[in-house]
Amino acid sequence: MRLLFRDDLHTLTGVYALDAIEGSAERDRFSRHLNRCQSCSSEVRGLREVATALAFAAATEPPPELRTQVLAAAARTRQLPPEVNHHAVPRRGARVWGWMPWLAGSLATAGLVLALVFGLIQANTSQQLSQARAQNQAIAAVLSAPGARLLAARTTSGGVATVVLAAAKRELVVTMAGLPPLPAGKVYQLWLIGPTKIVSAGLVPPPASSGVTPAVLASGIVTGDKLGLTVEPSPGSAQPTTTPILALPLPL
Amino acid sequence: MSPSDPDASRFRASPADRRGERDLNDLLIHVARGDQDAFEQLYDRLAGPAYGVIRRVLRDPSQSEEVTQEVLLEVWRTAARFDPAMGGAATWVMTIAHRRAIDRVRSSVAATEREQKTAVVNSLRDEVADEVEASLDRERVRRCLDGLTEVQRESITLAYYGGYSYRQVAELLTVTLGAIKTRIRDGLIRMRDCLGVS
Repeated sequence: MRLLFRDDLHTLTGVYALDAIEGSAERDRFSRHLNRCQSCSSEVRGLREVATALAFAAATEPPPELRTQVLAAAARTRQLPPEVNHHAVPRRGARVWGWMPWLAGSLATAGLVLALVFGLIQANTSQQLSQARAQNQAIAAVLSAPGARLLAARTTSGGVATVVLAAAKRELVVTMAGLPPLPAGKVYQLWLIGPTKIVSAGLVPPPASSGVTPAVLASGIVTGDKLGLTVEPSPGSAQPTTTPILALPLPL
Repeated sequence: MSPSDPDASRFRASPADRRGERDLNDLLIHVARGDQDAFEQLYDRLAGPAYGVIRRVLRDPSQSEEVTQEVLLEVWRTAARFDPAMGGAATWVMTIAHRRAIDRVRSSVAATEREQKTAVVNSLRDEVADEVEASLDRERVRRCLDGLTEVQRESITLAYYGGYSYRQVAELLTVTLGAIKTRIRDGLIRMRDCLGVS
């Protein structure tokens, strides 16, 4: 019976990829299943590409005025920040992330970091566990990416940033150790400082008792970006308001 | 790239087109940084397929334009949430487009349309044939659709282009729910292999 149920769930990959599951309960149940079933989610990915082929086969030129309208509307529409900013905010009541050991100065491999991160994850409820797991997977993907590089740099006010950069994924994971404590109302904020733009990469969560902060994931790195760190008024700024204490070039 | 460039409507997920797909991913990453030029280029590459699929599902041109505008604005607004690890930019945008069209269909309860079951099935059959034969670029998709069994092909086109849920497809084709699920899955897998999607 149990086996039957699972087989049944697995055959939903096709209708899910075509958005043909009407009931939200069934869709949600299958979405949750996808988080656990790697072969299902990779199958859905492939089948969605087939759906994309069907879309391209149906391509129809929209009226030219739509272009003008869309571009004008975009110019006055504010964009959402990357989702990683939410992950970077530590959750109350649970150590979703334990700590990452201070690796600066030692030539530890990404594999070692990976092992330690996996070993120390902790969460109290199943919801926190699934958040932790999602974050864990995202960070693990960076750490295990082929060609991931370990970078470390000292900030001008002390403390060390350790970065694992997955150039191909345009993502990095950073952890800070030994940063001087800040007065109340101030936070450390990470930035991707590019040639034309500066975007927030999230707040640095408070350090664990070891003095090492939980890992922060940053995505969407572009060529020429540096990883910056500033002190900002709580709860963070849209653009840096102080001189960066770190500006680490990110070789892509 | 101009909207009339024939390349703009070509499906890009095959291994031979991977380069194109990577460029789209790169464009989307720039869009996430507020780069309006990149968004303009992305529009020229993806507005045609997005509008095409939305129109297939909704039929009504003015509603389709409205939804296409919503979709492309959502792409602009949420570009930073795009995760290349989960699939290419084209697939991300087409998934949003198709879902939005489906949401519109399901919320506007096209009840009257549902009653004209036979007419719809027949017109869809013709539409698919006409549209797909219209362009050499679509040859590959047509060929792969041809390689499916009739029930597979009908189930897939009704679900994707028709915007029907698999329950409705089962009802339209008078087969069981279990059969529809497996036929759609088997058909898509055969299409995937035929298209050379990894």
